[in-house]
Amino acid sequence: MKTNLYQNKMLIDDLSCFFSNKCVLENVSLSIIKNEILTIIGPSNSGKTSFLRTLNRMNDFNSDFSRKGNVFLDEENIFHMNMEKLRMRVGMLFAMPIPLPMTVYENVIYAPKRLGVIKHGKKSEMDAIVEQALRDASLWDEVKDRLDSSAMKMSGGQQQRLCIARILAINPEVILFDEPCSGLDPISTAKVEETMIALKKRYTIVLVTNNVKQASRVGDRTAFFLMGRLIEIGGTAKLFVSPKEQKTNDYITGRFG
Amino acid sequence: MIKLNPKLSQKFAVAFLFCATIVAIIPVVIIIFIIIKNGYSAISLEFLTAMPTNGMRSGGIFPAIVGTLSIVFCAILITLPIGVCAAIYLNEYAKDTLLTRLIKLAIVNLAGIPSVVYGLFGLGIFVMFLGFGVSIIAGALTLSIMELPVIITTARGALNSVPPAFREASLALGVSRWQTIRHIVLPNALPGILTGAILSIARISGETAPILFTAAAFYLPHIPRSPFDQVMALPYHLYIISTQIPNMPKNIIFATALVLLMMVLSMSLIAIIARIYFRKRRKW
Ligand SMILES: Nc1ncnc2c1ncn2[C@@H]1O[C@H](COP(=O)(O)OP(=O)(O)OP(=O)(O)O)[C@@H](O)[C@H]1O
Ligand SMILES: [Mg+2]
Repeated sequence: MKTNLYQNKMLIDDLSCFFSNKCVLENVSLSIIKNEILTIIGPSNSGKTSFLRTLNRMNDFNSDFSRKGNVFLDEENIFHMNMEKLRMRVGMLFAMPIPLPMTVYENVIYAPKRLGVIKHGKKSEMDAIVEQALRDASLWDEVKDRLDSSAMKMSGGQQQRLCIARILAINPEVILFDEPCSGLDPISTAKVEETMIALKKRYTIVLVTNNVKQASRVGDRTAFFLMGRLIEIGGTAKLFVSPKEQKTNDYITGRFG
Repeated sequence: MIKLNPKLSQKFAVAFLFCATIVAIIPVVIIIFIIIKNGYSAISLEFLTAMPTNGMRSGGIFPAIVGTLSIVFCAILITLPIGVCAAIYLNEYAKDTLLTRLIKLAIVNLAGIPSVVYGLFGLGIFVMFLGFGVSIIAGALTLSIMELPVIITTARGALNSVPPAFREASLALGVSRWQTIRHIVLPNALPGILTGAILSIARISGETAPILFTAAAFYLPHIPRSPFDQVMALPYHLYIISTQIPNMPKNIIFATALVLLMMVLSMSLIAIIARIYFRKRRKW
């Protein structure tokens, strides 16, 4: 493998996924390198969301779901891990921002509280976590004066960054983004992208996007999915300039999808 | 068939639907009117707080009010926690198997069983087999079994009204299922569960058949001292004074009906107010 030079954060080994016996992901093998942004592109229905939701086992709640193959996080098989522990280490952001029906502050501190991350239950400790998470999500300056107002009243872009802050508050290792900007305007999108690039230093990021330009802007490496198959994966610049596969070329030049 | 022009047929439809609505509420209005007209002259503080005297032909209905309140209070205390737990299990945990589908179907159909059947069941199980005798507890258990399917159904509705996305968001953060239910689902479902419970109280306050053989006494002019005491109950008392007592003053009968009606209606009113209050405070 040519990725041996780098440290693999996650390794997907011959993964196939099924919803009530319908195959939605077929023999996917790839590695996710520590501190990279891996972008995943592909037309609708290509199994990108299903792939992402398998990586932190959100699909396990669906009784129709089954899979073959394995996924490793730091050499540990995720399907042998405790689900809650796994999700603390592999956070996920959904396409639509889903603020919980509480205040901004409570949204950020919700998971650390429930997961028992806060050791002493001191207000100062919680304040520090909330501030740090909101700063890292580039939201602090906008909301520092309204931490006690309902999160449902924020704009879509702010809500999405709040959801990022909520994940950062539990300090995961990998963050999965599923089309985080699909509902956002260009300025909010730029902010989320900046945030992601800044987060790369400390986290490993997988970004699914419908927006080919976004993939080329933020991705270190890019994978192209089509009809549940991994068609091609490689350095973003290289994949966009000289794809090996004809299908990849067709997609990034907008000939189908 | 003659073809009406669309505007005219629209008018016809609206008029017809309006008439149907009027027909539906007229009897209720008439009943309430008759009861108030004939009964209000007997309503007084004494009527509400005194023991019946002179073979129930005069005095008050205090023991019947206390009896009904204690039976209903015990019943909701039993049925609410069990019903909510069952609803949580069915909605949040149970996999969609044949068995759970059968259970759900059974619960829906259980709500359609005539209440006198529950009364006989309570007589057989609680009064005789378990030896509670005719008592508050036997009546309350009977009523709670009767009301359980309704509580479960309304609680499930309330749980369903919490958007699934909230659960996903919480679970994706590594929070466990139970914690998610406890801190996200339940607080947001609580208004619906509570209003359902209040409406249940209103409904079972007026039930006669289930307590007929299990809790209600013909004439017992004192206040119950333990859950194993027999009590008078408003609906049954009303039945007795209107059919079994010769020379019963009419206004006392109607006044008793009025008290029962007010109890039930005020419960429903509380439920409506609670629902409006919670809806205003809802954050999504
Ligand atoms: N919960 C589910 N139950 C049944 N089938 C599902 C479920 N989720 C996804 N699928 C199926 O899996 C296939 C892939 O869907 P997926 O959402 O992974 O595609 P995607 O690449 O994310 O598409 P999009 O770009 O539109 O988000 C689809 O055919 C879909 O019908
Ligand atoms: Mg998707």
